Amino acid sequence: MDRRALDDALLAAHQAGNRAALIALYAQAADDGGPGAAFYLTHAYVFALEAGDSRAPALRQALVRMKAEVAE
Amino acid sequence: MPDDHARPLADVMAPITRARGLPNAHYTDPATIARENRAVLETTWAALAVGADVPEPGDAKPISFLGQPLLLLRDDHGALRVFFNICRHRGMILVEAPRKIDGAIRCPYHSWCYAKDGRLVATPHVGGPGQNACDGIDRATLGLAEVRTHVWRDVVFINLSGDAAPFEEVHADLLTRWAEFDKPFYHGGEESRFTLEVATNWKLAVENYCESYHLPWVHPGLNSYSRLEDHYHIEQPGKFSGQGTYVYRQLQGGDGLTFPDFDGLSEHWNTGAEYVALYPNLLLGVHRDHAYAIILESVAHDRTVEHVHIYYPTPDTDEALRTKNATLWENVFIEDIFVVEGMQRGRAASGFDGGRFSPAMDGPTHMFHAWVASRIEAVET
Repeated sequence: MDRRALDDALLAAHQAGNRAALIALYAQAADDGGPGAAFYLTHAYVFALEAGDSRAPALRQALVRMKAEVAE
Repeated sequence: MPDDHARPLADVMAPITRARGLPNAHYTDPATIARENRAVLETTWAALAVGADVPEPGDAKPISFLGQPLLLLRDDHGALRVFFNICRHRGMILVEAPRKIDGAIRCPYHSWCYAKDGRLVATPHVGGPGQNACDGIDRATLGLAEVRTHVWRDVVFINLSGDAAPFEEVHADLLTRWAEFDKPFYHGGEESRFTLEVATNWKLAVENYCESYHLPWVHPGLNSYSRLEDHYHIEQPGKFSGQGTYVYRQLQGGDGLTFPDFDGLSEHWNTGAEYVALYPNLLLGVHRDHAYAIILESVAHDRTVEHVHIYYPTPDTDEALRTKNATLWENVFIEDIFVVEGMQRGRAASGFDGGRFSPAMDGPTHMFHAWVASRIEAVET
C-alpha cells in the first residue's frame, strides 16, 4: 500500500471508528520508519489499548525501545 | 448562617407539637437549595445508582449528580467505583453514554487513556510528537479522580465531600434493624426497573413516603385489607424514618404461585413489611419475598426522577409474576405523583409558613424536616 492509499485507508478507518483497522494501519505506517515512526506507533498503541487488543503490550514495548515511552 | 434564616430552621427543629415545616425557599429558591444540597446531599452518603446498572466487567455509565459529571465503572475484577467523568488533562468529558469499555477509556480530545481501575496509562505525544512521557506529567498522580463510594443492598452510595463518617457507622441502626435481610438478593431484571419523572422537589417524595397518614386517601385500594391502624411509625432521629405494616399479603399469580421467601426470616415478617426513607434520598421497602429501592435523583429544584429497582431472594423467580409485581408497585407510586407535585406548586404561595404537623401521624415526616434543618445548621455554623 503506497503512502496515499495508506492515508486514505486511515481516514476511512477514523470515519468508521474501526479500531482494528486503525491499529493495523498505524502500525503499518510506523513500519516505514523515519522520524514519524514513533508518532504512528503511538497511535497504533493507543487504539490497541482502548480496544483491549492483544497487540497493545508489544506495541508498548516497541515504543519503549524507541525511547518514546517509559518502561513500566 | 444569616439571621433571617435562623428562626425558620429553629422552628423546623422544634418539637413536633410546635414545629413548622421547611420554608418555601427550600423547594423553590435555587440559591437556598444550593446551600441545602451541600449540607444534605454532598456531605452525606447519597444514593446514586445500583450495581445492576453496570452488571458486567467493563460496563460504564455516566451519571449526573447535582450537575456534576460522574462515571459508574466496573473493572475487570468486578470492583465497582465512581469517578468524576473527566480527563485529568483538560477536563473533557470522557464517556458520553452507557457502554462497555473494552480495554481502556480514551479521552476523545487528546487521547489520554485510563485503565478501568482509574489509572492513567497513556499520555500520547505529551512530550512532543512521538514522545509519550515528560517531566512534570506524573501518571501515578493523575489517575481519574475517585469519589468515595459504598455499596449496600446493591445501592451505590457516594460521599462527594469525602469526609462523612463511614457508611456502616452512619447507618448502623438500619443495618442492625434489617440484619435478617443481610443475604444475597437479585435484581429482577428489565421488567423490575422503571423510572418516574415527577415535577417536584426530591424532598417532597421523601416526606410523602415517610408517613402512612395519606394511605387511606391516596391509595384507597389498600383500605380493604390494610387499614391505617395496621401501620406503625419507624423513627430513627437523624438517620431514617418511615412506616411499617402488620398485614402484608404476598402477591399471587393466577395459579397461586408466590415468590420464594428470603431464608431464615423471623415470624414477624410473615405478614410484616417496612418502608423506610434512608436519609437523604433513598426509599426502601422490605417484604418476606421481595425488596425494592427507589433512588431519588434531584434534577432541578422542582424536578425529580425516581429510579425504582425491585429485588428477589433468588435469581430465577417467575417472570410473569415479577412483571405483575412491578406493575402493582408502579401504579402505587403513580398514585403519589399528584400529591408531591401539588405540594411543590403549593410552595409558590407566599402565605404558606411551612405547615403544621400532626403530632400523631406526621412524626416520620417531621423527623426528616428536622434532619435537613440540622444538617444545614451543622454545615453552616
